[in-house]
Amino acid sequence: MSWRINFILTAALVLCALLLVNAQYQARRLFIELERAQSAARQLDIDWAQLQLDQSTLGKHARIEANGRRDLNMVALTLARTQYLTAGEK
Amino acid sequence: MRAMPRTAAAKGVPFSASPVLALKLPAWRSRVVLFLLFAAFLALAARALWLQGISTDFLQKQGESRYARTLELPATRGKITDRNGQVLASSVPVKAIWAIPEDTLEAPKDKLRSLATLLDMTEGELRKKLDSDRSFVYLKRQVEQDVANKIVKLGIPGIETRKEYKRFYPEAGVTAHVVGFTNVEDAGQEGMELASQKSLAGMAGSRRVIKDRLGRIVEDIQSIREPHDGKDLVLSIDSKIQYIAFSQLKEAVEKHHAKAGGIVVLDAKTGEVLALANLPTYDPNNRSVLTGAQLRNRVMTDTFEPGSTLKPFTVALALDTNRVTPASTFQTSPGRMTIGTATISDSHEHGLLTVSEIIQKSSNIGTAKIALQMQPHEMWELFTATGFGQQPRFGFPGAVAGRVRPYKSWRPIEQATMSYGHGISVSLIQLARSYTIFARDGDLIPLSFLKLDQAPVGQRIISQKTARDLRAMLETVVSPEGTAPKAQVPGYRVGGKTGTAYKIVGGKYVRNYVASFVGFAPASDPRIIVAVMIDEPTGAHYGGEVAAPVFAAVTASALRAMNVAPDSSVTDIIIPADAVQESL
Repeated sequence: MSWRINFILTAALVLCALLLVNAQYQARRLFIELERAQSAARQLDIDWAQLQLDQSTLGKHARIEANGRRDLNMVALTLARTQYLTAGEK
Repeated sequence: MRAMPRTAAAKGVPFSASPVLALKLPAWRSRVVLFLLFAAFLALAARALWLQGISTDFLQKQGESRYARTLELPATRGKITDRNGQVLASSVPVKAIWAIPEDTLEAPKDKLRSLATLLDMTEGELRKKLDSDRSFVYLKRQVEQDVANKIVKLGIPGIETRKEYKRFYPEAGVTAHVVGFTNVEDAGQEGMELASQKSLAGMAGSRRVIKDRLGRIVEDIQSIREPHDGKDLVLSIDSKIQYIAFSQLKEAVEKHHAKAGGIVVLDAKTGEVLALANLPTYDPNNRSVLTGAQLRNRVMTDTFEPGSTLKPFTVALALDTNRVTPASTFQTSPGRMTIGTATISDSHEHGLLTVSEIIQKSSNIGTAKIALQMQPHEMWELFTATGFGQQPRFGFPGAVAGRVRPYKSWRPIEQATMSYGHGISVSLIQLARSYTIFARDGDLIPLSFLKLDQAPVGQRIISQKTARDLRAMLETVVSPEGTAPKAQVPGYRVGGKTGTAYKIVGGKYVRNYVASFVGFAPASDPRIIVAVMIDEPTGAHYGGEVAAPVFAAVTASALRAMNVAPDSSVTDIIIPADAVQESL
């Protein structure tokens, strides 16, 4: 009788050990994936900052004004050519 | 063929009769062997005890150091943006290239040459840097990422990289004096970068991890110390108005061949600084050619004698204490007046003037006569209450207090000259702020360089009626009969005051001028205050000639940018050929 219990317990032990190994492996694999995702997030943050910077550089008023005057032949607004509309007026 | 039999038995010798067995060995030999075997086991056991029990801590540490790593988690410095979210300063990761000279010098020549080209230096310069006894030499800092990658690809021994940040300022010289700049270690040196260093910098964190054979992180072994990125800073600056102010100031400084200039635009409702510009300026992206004059934030740190821009305060005090009304008259002929041993004068003889006309024509004698009706301590209290001579609390580094002498030492002549802004020194930003009492119905509000959610509470200095009377008087200054017709803005009613003063060099007046103009618009319900200062203009030097046009141009564009509805139908501006010249 006792050899059967021993056998079952041994089998259970081996099974648990294998499951532990597997769980540890899965944990590490998922952790690596998490790390990769986090570093991708950091990289995207950096790219976002870079794009915001580019937007500011390209959209700065000095550049817009120079381009408007030079390439599009625009001139500054004067009051004589402005029509003011008031909300609610008929 | 039969093999030769090899056993003794096969040779006919019986086993028991083997001659080897017959050999008689002494008993101590087997004892020695036994003892040696036991001794070996004992040594192993002792060694095991030593490793397991006594030096276990040391060994575990050594083991851990072979798979565990402590990673620095750097914090990114916060961005600085203007009030509309336009980026004014942002940090981008770059690389510092460093070398172990001993290893690097052994690299093949062509590789060193291409390294030198990538680093943007000659081979000689590179060799000079490497010719060092130290084991760590920075070759170049703040190298952009793609260049750094190419350098790594060269595979030169002893060349390493380190991550660092570089700060970029897209608006460059336009916002340089407000935003300031950081040094190579990413620490603030000037302006808001310095003022808000703590919240911008953030806090670096660290984590301890296990790395596998491929260098991948597989496990955290201690709790992570999270890095705290620096907070983004939203300034009160409006980059559109800032650009307008900067470009108009630049135009004026170049036109009048002035030495320097400063301009500040305030939101009269909230006390936010919408624009602050200085000339000469610098490019914070390229700081290798900086000089002191470029760095100086004149608006904040330079004091000057304000001259006539201070006259409205004398008049306001007289009105507030019911000593005069706007219609009271003063005789200013013959244009000269002697107080004690000194004589003060007007540039022209104006005859009998009302209080309102004294402001309009900027008469020194009229202002002095009003001032001499008052006690020195009253004037001193008003000046002090509006912030003159007081250390400013703008949260901006380097702001100066200016100087108002204690009233007990004022002689009558000094009281008279101080009433029109001589013998007192202020900074341009103090002057601009003090005008909030006229633009805001008599109360003074604190200034802010950060965007505010709600307007601060003001502190009442003069009555509402006085402030409104003064606004009406200041509006007459920009009329064709006043000293600053060039400050007129089509479509808007504006008010302001010119100032022209001699500069003081080494305690003596010299024939160099500071021309200034401080004004507000629209006069019906002021939204902005603009203060302009031009230092040492050549040729024309009156505030109405030099500074007023800058005010007009900036005000027109700024009000349009802020969508302020016009409050006047006048679109044609009359500028008389010979405007009234103000008195010095």
